[in-house]
Formats: sequence, structure tokens, C-alpha cells
Amino acid sequence: MNEILTQEKSIYIQIKEMVENDILRNILLEEERVPSTNELAKLYAINPATAAKGINLLVDEGILYKKRGIGMFVAEGAKKQIMEKRKRNFYNDYVKSLMAEAGSLGITKKELVDMIERSGEGVEEHE
Amino acid sequence: MSKLTAQGIRKSYGKQEVLHGIDLELESGKIYGLIGRNGAGKTTLLSILTAQNPASAGTVAFEGQPVWENPSALEHLCFSRELNPLTGNNASTLKVKDYLKVAAAFFPHWDAEMAEQLVKEFGLDRKKRISKLSKGMLSMVTIVVALASKAEFTFLDEPVAGLDVVARERFYQLLVEEFSESGRTFLVSTHIIEEAADIFEEVIMVDQGHILLKENTQDLLERSYHISGHEEEVDRATEGMKVHHEEHLGRSKGVTVLLDPGQEFPKDCDVSIQKPSLQKLFVALCGEES
Repeated sequence: MNEILTQEKSIYIQIKEMVENDILRNILLEEERVPSTNELAKLYAINPATAAKGINLLVDEGILYKKRGIGMFVAEGAKKQIMEKRKRNFYNDYVKSLMAEAGSLGITKKELVDMIERSGEGVEEHE
Repeated sequence: MSKLTAQGIRKSYGKQEVLHGIDLELESGKIYGLIGRNGAGKTTLLSILTAQNPASAGTVAFEGQPVWENPSALEHLCFSRELNPLTGNNASTLKVKDYLKVAAAFFPHWDAEMAEQLVKEFGLDRKKRISKLSKGMLSMVTIVVALASKAEFTFLDEPVAGLDVVARERFYQLLVEEFSESGRTFLVSTHIIEEAADIFEEVIMVDQGHILLKENTQDLLERSYHISGHEEEVDRATEGMKVHHEEHLGRSKGVTVLLDPGQEFPKDCDVSIQKPSLQKLFVALCGEES
């Protein structure tokens, strides 16, 4: 939750992704309370309505849930859900832009596959 | 939900009209940002909204009641003016503590404890005369008055001018803190747009005595784009759209566009589509030579 806000994306999207990142990295655990929108607003000097917009998106997706009068909590299974969602978006978020750049540089499919295999050695070790 | 409403505000100084018919509605529980170039009419507008300056035409009403010479409406409004040690109001000969005493007498909901705490936090010397304060310290005094006034609608004119970066960050935090605890409405004018953009729920742009736009900051940023690439491609991508701030360099062209609902760029254009910051957008909309 202590990443720095950038100008590249909407602030509420960044707030949303920061909470997701913290869940993925076990900084926020399931069934644990997440910082309130006012706490987030103060920390980042942003409008509380903007912070709330990001948090509410996570509630809509079922990643956070509201306990009345207490605050927002991380739902059970949230981590798995975020990983699955990001896997689904991986093609659009990364592969498409990779292909576009490769295309404009004239990198062949074979070269690309070679590069992926070379860099992928590390990934497989983790499996 | 209280409202402050301005209708058809015009203001002339001598023969020169500086505000040309302003309509504006401010709702309670929001932080508004007021941005505009030097001489756009920001300070004049703020002083008219708070009945410190008579309008040449038009009305300002709080909860439907005119604010002019109306104490029951004015007790809910605070305009913390930019202090200038050299000119204007005789405040400059007062000591800090006396200036705050005047404020305490003037604002019925004054929070003396908060004022005291802020003076301490900012390290202001209570015995110093206003005229002897540095630029940054003058800003701090205006911030103390604005926050401690506890007025439902509080207007800050350039509160961060002269403050160093650390003090500015601290001010934004204090503002968000007070806002989230009290739900008061704040309207802040500033030239340091980039830093403050994330605090404003709505942004009001003033240009040459007109309100250019008033819109939710995030919504505005979401529909604003910077399009660049080969001139022909840029023209094709933005065909039929109103473009702002055209820039050319050889065959390359860049423009800023505000998309209307339902509008989108054709998919097959070879252009770079980027998101401008609020500051860049402001320059694109207000920076054109007239």
C-alpha cells in the first residue's frame, strides 16, 4: 500500500491495483481489514471519493466485502481470484503490446519464441 | 445538502469587465479546484462569492438566501485571502496573534484550539508582524485562518504559493484530513495544478472571465486524450472532433481532444494515444493565444 502514485493511470485504478498487489504479496491477508478510504486519502493526499471509487470496484468484483460499521475486508479466495483475473488479462495487457512492438521492429516469430524461451528458463524453475 | 449558487455574475472595474456572466453552483461536501491563468478573474470571483466585493450584476445565494450583507448566510462562508505585506488591507501592520484574534471575532464557528495547533505545527512566530513574514509564512497564516474558520464553505486563494514542497504536501494532507472529518466544502485556487489534481473532486477552469468547464476531475481526465503521429493519420483519427492545441513538427502533428459520450477513435489509425495530465490539459485548453 506504499507504492507511489503516477500520472499514467487514473488514480482510482491505481488504488485498486495497489490493494490487489498487496493481497497477491500477502501484505493484506484474507479476512483482514483493509485501510479505510479516509486513511488512503490522507496517506496519498487524494480525494476520499477517488479512493472510495477504487475500493468499491474491488467490492463489486467480490475481492473485498463490507462489514457494516467496521470497514472493508479481504474476501476468502480473493488471492486466487485476482491471479485468475490477471491471467485472463495477460493476453490483452502484455502479449498484444509485445506483438505490436515486435511487428514494428520486424522481429520474426522464431526470434520471438527464442527470446521467450531464453528468458523463460527462470520461470520454469519456479514451477 | 447546502448549496452556494451564483447566477449571471458580472463585474467591471471602471470600463473593463473582468467577469462576463458567471453561473456556478457549489454543493456541500466536495473539494473543488479553481484553475485559471493570471488575470482570468479567479480572485474577483471568490471575493464576490463570499460577498467581500459587490458584483456589477447577478446574485450569489446560500441556501436560496442572498449572501450580500446577510450575516446568517455569511457565517457559513470563509474566504481566506492571499496576504500581501506591501499593499492592501491594513492587516500588514498587525501581529500574527492579533490577525488571528480578528479572525476569531469574525468567524462565529472559529476553532481556537485548531488555530493554536496549526500555528505551532507551522512554526509561526505569533509576535511577528504580518509585514515581516516570508512568503511561505504568509501562506501558512491564510491556511490557519481557512481551516480554523470551520466555515461550511471555505475558499482558499493560492494557499500553497510560496510554500516549500514539504509544507505543500503537509497542507494537502491537512486539507484531506479536515475534509474527511468535517465534510466541509473547500474551493482551492492554485497554479500548482499537478500536485493538487488528485485532491479535487471537481475542477473549475476559468478563462478570461468565463467558466470554461466544471466537471468531475476523474471523468474529465478519462475523456481527454493526446493524439500524435503522421499528420494525415492524426487528422483521420480526429475527423469531426474539436481539437485543441495543435502542434506541428515536420510531418508530425499532436492534438488534444476531449471525447464526448459515445465518441471514440477509429480503430485502424496508426497514432499514439496518450493521457494528458490535468496540467497539460489546462495548457491545451487555456494556453491558446487569443
